[in-house]
Amino acid sequence: MALKLDPRTKLFMIFIVSAVVMMSATTPLLWAVRITMTMIPIFLLIAEKHYAAALRFIVLYSAALLISFKFLSENSKGFLSAFLVGYCSIIVQFMPAVITAWYVVRTTKIGEFVSAMQKMHVPDGITISLAVVMRFFPTIKEEYSSIRDAMKMRGIMFGGGNVTDVVEYRMIPLLFSCVNIGDELSAAAVTRGLGGKVKRTSVQELKMGGADYMLILMFTAALVFFVVFKYMK
Amino acid sequence: MDNNKLQAKDFITIGIFTALLFVVEFACGILGFIHPYIVASYVIMIPIVGSVPMMLFYTKIEKFGMLSIMSVLLAIIMFVTGMGYLGAPLIIGAGVIADLIAKSGGYKSFKKTVLSHGVFCLWICANYFPVIVTADSYRKNLVDGGYSTEYCDNLFRAINSKTIAVLLILCFVFGVIGAFIGKAVVKKHFEKAGIV
Repeated sequence: MALKLDPRTKLFMIFIVSAVVMMSATTPLLWAVRITMTMIPIFLLIAEKHYAAALRFIVLYSAALLISFKFLSENSKGFLSAFLVGYCSIIVQFMPAVITAWYVVRTTKIGEFVSAMQKMHVPDGITISLAVVMRFFPTIKEEYSSIRDAMKMRGIMFGGGNVTDVVEYRMIPLLFSCVNIGDELSAAAVTRGLGGKVKRTSVQELKMGGADYMLILMFTAALVFFVVFKYMK
Repeated sequence: MDNNKLQAKDFITIGIFTALLFVVEFACGILGFIHPYIVASYVIMIPIVGSVPMMLFYTKIEKFGMLSIMSVLLAIIMFVTGMGYLGAPLIIGAGVIADLIAKSGGYKSFKKTVLSHGVFCLWICANYFPVIVTADSYRKNLVDGGYSTEYCDNLFRAINSKTIAVLLILCFVFGVIGAFIGKAVVKKHFEKAGIV
């Protein structure tokens, strides 16, 4: 493992990227800043050996960038090109935030996350709920794909039947299993002392390293740079 | 034991249902890429599809704070996924008010639950805030960039500071309708199975 970042650095990255995503880039210089900022989480993904995800993001992002730049210069008319440009610009706009969020969720252990939140004095309720949300997305995906397999076996597919049936047949079993998993999860968590009165300690020792400070510096600089060049000129 | 304080179990329930609600929102959000008008119709889709997990969530609420925390989480997730911080006051405000309404019914009264769900659904409008608040510069950017004015017109005709009132009302109305649908579904499936 080459690079181990502190969860607080990761949260800071999300914060900055989300702020920059809100401001639209208009000049080539600003685009350069944005693209550089998008590349950092992709490199971090590669460093953490998530090659497939990194490749997927690069391909999607650069394709969207290319299409929207190529068509931006021309006057796009007609339904299809308007649709395409609209679609790509949405991807270009939100992709940086999505990539960063994906990277953070994928590479942060829940224990690390909770202890980082504790160090930042976030109320317990929010920490626990957020940790459950983070942990739960993969579970929902997994449950959903098993439900879909089960439905296929019984010959219930998308497209067949009306919309409400499709929603009902998938959502109800999903809710059932999620509620049950939730009960198990809380039983497991309570036996490990979650929600007790004492202050909890953590196995994970969090320390800010050189890489952390460097990244925080880089992202802050990028934000300042972006704001200055967008609004001061 | 202080029974009015939220326990670890409650926080886990909140987390699970927030994740489910966000999945619903995300699934509907993908459809919105197709045409700007679909973006406007979030106010119809999300309350109705999302009502099933929400009504199930309402059966689990017994204490004040669960809806409020859920709205805080939604605001955080919206921020992280790049929707910005502009909608956060609306989301949290809607959550707290919905929580108070449900509390006044003791979290058991169905009428209050319906009303509360309607109010809670107002958070969906926070999706539109970036488009409305930055409307002028946003539109200028799009047109300068060579977008077809057709696409822009559609987007801004459907969503602007005038229609936001209508969208908010629609959110509430469909939230109320969704509550009835969700209740029926919960009754049909979950009460029979004895999960609730």
